[in-house]
Amino acid sequence: MFCYQCEQTTRLPTGDGCASAKGLCGKDATTADLQDLLVHAVKGIAQQARRARALGVPDNDAGAFMLHALFTTLTNVNFNPTRFVTLLHEAAAVRDRVAARCEAALVADSDTAQTAPAPTGPAVDWTPAADLTGLLAQAATVPVNADLARVGADVVGLRALILYGMKGVAAYANHAAVLGYTRDAVFAGVEETMAYLASDPTDMAELLDRALSVGRLNLQVMEMLDAANTGRFGTPHPTAVRVTPVAGKAILVSGHDLGDLEALLKQTAGTDINVYTHGEMLPAHGYPALKAYPHLVGNFGGAWQDQQTDFATFPGPILMTSNCIIEPGPRYRQRIFTTGPVGWPGVRHLADHAFAPLIAAAHALPGFKADDLKTAGPEQTVTVGFGGDAVLGVAGAVVEAVKAGDIRHFFLIGGCDGAAAGRNYYSDFATGAPDDTVVLTLGCAKYRFNRHEFGSIGGIPRLLDIGQCNDSYSAIRIASALAEAFGCGVNDLPLSLVVSWFEQKAAAVLLTLLALGIRNIRLGPTLPAFLTPTLLAVLVERFGIQPITTAPDDIAAALTCAA
Amino acid sequence: MTFHTVDLLTRDGARLSFPCAEDQSVVEAAAAADLFLPVVCREGGCGACRATAESGDYQLGPHSEAALSAADAARRAILLCRTYPRGPLALSAPFDRARILTQALRPRHAVVSERTLIGARTVRLRLTLEDEGEGSAAEFEAGQYMELEIPDGAGLRRAYSLANTANWDGTLEFLIRLHPQGHFSEYLERRAAVGDRLRVHGPLGGFTLRENGLRPRWFVAGGTGLAPMLSMLRRMAEYQDPQPARLYFGVNRAEELFALEELGALTDSLPGGFALIPCVWQAEADWSGVVGTPADALRADLAAMSGEAPDLYVCGPPALIAAVEQAARDRGVPDDHLFSERFLPGAR
Repeated sequence: MFCYQCEQTTRLPTGDGCASAKGLCGKDATTADLQDLLVHAVKGIAQQARRARALGVPDNDAGAFMLHALFTTLTNVNFNPTRFVTLLHEAAAVRDRVAARCEAALVADSDTAQTAPAPTGPAVDWTPAADLTGLLAQAATVPVNADLARVGADVVGLRALILYGMKGVAAYANHAAVLGYTRDAVFAGVEETMAYLASDPTDMAELLDRALSVGRLNLQVMEMLDAANTGRFGTPHPTAVRVTPVAGKAILVSGHDLGDLEALLKQTAGTDINVYTHGEMLPAHGYPALKAYPHLVGNFGGAWQDQQTDFATFPGPILMTSNCIIEPGPRYRQRIFTTGPVGWPGVRHLADHAFAPLIAAAHALPGFKADDLKTAGPEQTVTVGFGGDAVLGVAGAVVEAVKAGDIRHFFLIGGCDGAAAGRNYYSDFATGAPDDTVVLTLGCAKYRFNRHEFGSIGGIPRLLDIGQCNDSYSAIRIASALAEAFGCGVNDLPLSLVVSWFEQKAAAVLLTLLALGIRNIRLGPTLPAFLTPTLLAVLVERFGIQPITTAPDDIAAALTCAA
Repeated sequence: MTFHTVDLLTRDGARLSFPCAEDQSVVEAAAAADLFLPVVCREGGCGACRATAESGDYQLGPHSEAALSAADAARRAILLCRTYPRGPLALSAPFDRARILTQALRPRHAVVSERTLIGARTVRLRLTLEDEGEGSAAEFEAGQYMELEIPDGAGLRRAYSLANTANWDGTLEFLIRLHPQGHFSEYLERRAAVGDRLRVHGPLGGFTLRENGLRPRWFVAGGTGLAPMLSMLRRMAEYQDPQPARLYFGVNRAEELFALEELGALTDSLPGGFALIPCVWQAEADWSGVVGTPADALRADLAAMSGEAPDLYVCGPPALIAAVEQAARDRGVPDDHLFSERFLPGAR
């Protein structure tokens, strides 16, 4: 096993990366190695699918499979080795189906053969071994650092940056796809980039350009996901969300998949079961089509890394809809269910919105009782739903407040939360920002400060929750609109970006910000292990990326620069 | 008192450390650190807490030879409940981190809903958990067991594997062999009645299914060692697990076979296929199935096998487990394909 795709990866003087029997995320070596092999298999599909598209017979079903397969390999998504063995066999079948499609197209039009020559390489020729031992032997030849001795850490690091960015792209695109939103251009981009990785590229300049093209592809995907979410569930509006429980039977829904939440709300409508959001599902309360369900009663717990405590104390079953699962504890292992790309050995998986076992569990488990409410204290709320339209609707007032000097600066504090001690930087930053500044936030890092009383400036709340990490497009729209209103570029706005990264979705968003030319992003809590000193120097020089220092110093520096 | 550090490596790679005094067993020391290991008898009698000492000095307390043979002890196999450190100790355990509880389970009450003789001296006992403010769910992992307190038995407990799967109506199903002079057997045979109220403790135990890709799962059961196997097979059917499965089910005489109807029903519900191989040791002339022990049948099939060696799940008396382990070694099945739970009359 060798994996350094997430922020919590093992850091040692001898080299960074999880390389033992079990990674720090809880993934065992078998599963991690099978995921490496699945990435290899996806490259083979991409090579064939790129050819099929060039021949005029695109196979978007293969594209959808690639999105799902790559999504399963993100940190904290799927830990079940059996699932990956099945996916590997499916991947070979998908690739061969696309290859056959190409051959059929050539029979129909032999002149096109020269425009799309047959792909070659190990990912095209790969055949899954018959048993687990054989698959692991194959996996040993394709780890992310396979070429290290030949091409060096910089090239391996850039390939990893592209791959991890593509994992994030795939995750976001899969979120949109399950809501019925896909685009040919996105599938083509996935095929092109994964096929490019299959060529084992070594040109540093080309690799860097490709990384930025992943960022541009992700911008398309984020816009598509924004369209999917607002198209299906309406435009989010500022909404107060109860964060203390109410009496009654209860189901907790975690992860990011709004479609899963909607399906569960439909299936529990008219019952005595209340539904609560957890973690990144919190922004669901801002969507009109979801908050229309009266039994979507509130939010429970904190960010993803708190789930072992939150879930153990929740008196009902839990549905984990997408990334962010960590090892289920014994106290709730039998009442947590996975769906979509998620998996954990021994945990029941519910496919295709077949939530009957989850609902049966909710009826059987005690739910919240009156006594529980006493210990929870008085009712509390947090406000969500400041997506693009909600903020842009008051853009005029915001601009006037800036011009009048009432708002001195904006801080966008976005990204993932995590268990690492250094992440208190983000709460220190948000709560330490001066009273004449506005904090925009998205992702689950907000849980560190979203119960803090920030107050308002001229009726504009000082804390504006834009949504999930999936809602990054809203943040980009807001920044672009403000720049337009002020007649300047985004980099000239009184705006500082403070990014808290943890896994590959954040890598994709970071690449998008860089591709948009946004400079001076503060990145933490630690820098990605796959960014070598050389690569970091390039990012600092071209984009002004800055590792975080301390919250007071970074606030002061941001305000000084903007003055 | 001198304390030493115990480092415990679980089957899934988690590392736990806690101090242990020289007069404390590893189980006691872990509990003092709010780590409740999967154990049964706590007296060196059942073998449920077998582990391996990777390094360090220790002293083994009194224990049953059936639970830990002298030969295995010489290979540094240990019983966690009978291991006392004499220096820093590194142990590896055959169960996952998730099997270690971080707070003691509260006992619950259950009511007898069925008591049926289903084979010569085998009883199916069904209990229904009372709500007691915690809901009606029966939450456990296939392969785990519960400890049942005998009514009016002065707190005497007996451990029995669950035969059903986790469910939301609170049903606990056990397959229990009636032993002469057995305390719980005496209760079951003479006094148990529908409506009786028992205290139950659990779920406990680390004998559970492992996800190893599509590797076949072969189950070997001796007598009521069938219970955890039935639970695992039923869970495989519920989850639609893709692995091919087979079950070697051994009894002494054909009339002792039981639960064949439930096992037969699994044939159509396991997507990877299921083969049931009843084995009768002392067969009459009219028995047309396998004659011999399930270990004998397993040995023959391993010899004829091609492809990936299966995972072997074994539950039964120590002699059966030893025979299966030997057959597996002789046929080149890697040690990490073997998962076993032995039961002894004292523990059950």
